Amino acid sequence: MIEIRGLDKTYGSVRAVNDLTLTIDKGEVFGLLGPNGAGKTTLIKMLTLLSRPDSGFFTLAGLDPRSPHAMKRLIGVMPQENNLDREMTAWENLLIYGMLHGLDDLRRRIERTLDSVGLLDRRDSVVAHFSGGMQRRLLLGRALMTEPAVVFLDEPSIGLDPQIRRQMWDLIRKARIDGRTVVITTHYIEEAEILCDRVGVLSKGSLIALDSPAGLKTRVGEYVVEFVNEEGRLIQHMCKSRAEAQDTAGRIESGVTIRRSNLEDVFIKLTGERLE
Amino acid sequence: MTKLAEWYPIYLKEMLLFKRKLFKLGYLFSAMVVPVVYLVAFGLGLGRSVQTGRGTYLDFLIPGLVAMSSMNNSYSWVASSLNLNRLYFKTFQVFVQAPISPFSIMVGEVLAAMTKGLFASVLIMLVGFAVSAHFRVSSLFIMTLLLNCFLFACLGIVTGMVAKSHEDTSAYSNFFILPMAFFSGTFFPVDRAPMVVKWIIYIMPLTHTNILIRSARLDGRAATSLAVLLVYTAAFFVCGSHLIRRYSE
Repeated sequence: MIEIRGLDKTYGSVRAVNDLTLTIDKGEVFGLLGPNGAGKTTLIKMLTLLSRPDSGFFTLAGLDPRSPHAMKRLIGVMPQENNLDREMTAWENLLIYGMLHGLDDLRRRIERTLDSVGLLDRRDSVVAHFSGGMQRRLLLGRALMTEPAVVFLDEPSIGLDPQIRRQMWDLIRKARIDGRTVVITTHYIEEAEILCDRVGVLSKGSLIALDSPAGLKTRVGEYVVEFVNEEGRLIQHMCKSRAEAQDTAGRIESGVTIRRSNLEDVFIKLTGERLE
Repeated sequence: MTKLAEWYPIYLKEMLLFKRKLFKLGYLFSAMVVPVVYLVAFGLGLGRSVQTGRGTYLDFLIPGLVAMSSMNNSYSWVASSLNLNRLYFKTFQVFVQAPISPFSIMVGEVLAAMTKGLFASVLIMLVGFAVSAHFRVSSLFIMTLLLNCFLFACLGIVTGMVAKSHEDTSAYSNFFILPMAFFSGTFFPVDRAPMVVKWIIYIMPLTHTNILIRSARLDGRAATSLAVLLVYTAAFFVCGSHLIRRYSE
């Protein structure tokens, strides 16, 4: 569905995306994981035609950016930053968006969208009066309103409380059930593990790992042996098997924990950085 | 949606926002206060001693105030809002990511800015009718007004796209719009200015708007000013469209 070859983007002296090559399959939920400044948002901006790559190319459903109209008709975008018109109502925001995308039967679509994100009763409220969670839901609804083949979600659940975050995940799962390809960037490990078929780990603009969440854990180590050393630092060892973990733990005197690894462990192992 | 209608959602959005502001007293006040202050200060005060060649000073001043007001309102609204929408609210990005052409974005923004400029101009014209018995609106006057709104809306878009911060838009306004308001023949005839200053004055598009808007008919001088305005308008329109087309973060 999405073919990316040698994509590069530099801002001043910072190489935001560095020779990135990647294929995302149709109907897949693909997660981009990385710390701040890893290049996730820059990549999304390039794929959604908001930013031009310095070099490299990509195609989306066989279309390249030289056919911007056709390409834009295939995509829905939920940006990291809220770009709703705060002085307009939820209905007006969706109306303008629908018109920009040339949608027909707009009234029914808007009602269905507002209903799907639980905001139908607030249709005539000005967005500025919405909570952060309501604005994020409206952004997601807007991205899905055009029934796009590919949905780009940049940090969809950032700043949301756990209950709203789970509602958001339900909507993303529904998008996948509807056959859409979903590209999601996230800081939340749990989100990537629960939602994504595959995860790409970005660090300093480069793709340093690419696999399913389970595959990454298997590759790096399914078990973690951890303990606090004399200086108060948390020391972690990744182990391929439980036997190896027990063997490692046996060599440490006390205060040792053995647990299953998660994506955060994988990330720290691969990059030496902690996700925040 | 046809190419022709792609601009309409952009125009509609701006009008929805404009409608909300319209019913706030602050907006009407801010749109009218500057020209009315000038009208009182110059037209009914200082300007009484100014000789304009024909008619009263008020007859001279009111078309100039309409031109100035149309410039200010067409320019400032779009320069400021486009810049804010691009850099801070990020709503401009919704247009860029929509399957519409950059040309349509340009047209939608220009028409919205023109509407706001025309609205403010009509308010000043109403004041003009109230205070001057000789104030007349000809077809040439209306055409000039429309062209002036279009021209400065295009310039506003160029500023909104080029300015790197909201503060920069104010700086552009202080450098270009404010001097133009005072030195382009809005308040005083420019014919008696020294030759060097005249050259500068005749470079300014508002000078030609003032010539054209005060002309009774399209004679040689007015036709020259019309040509200058058309060249400026085309240049700013092409420049604005180009900036939108080349937009990249």
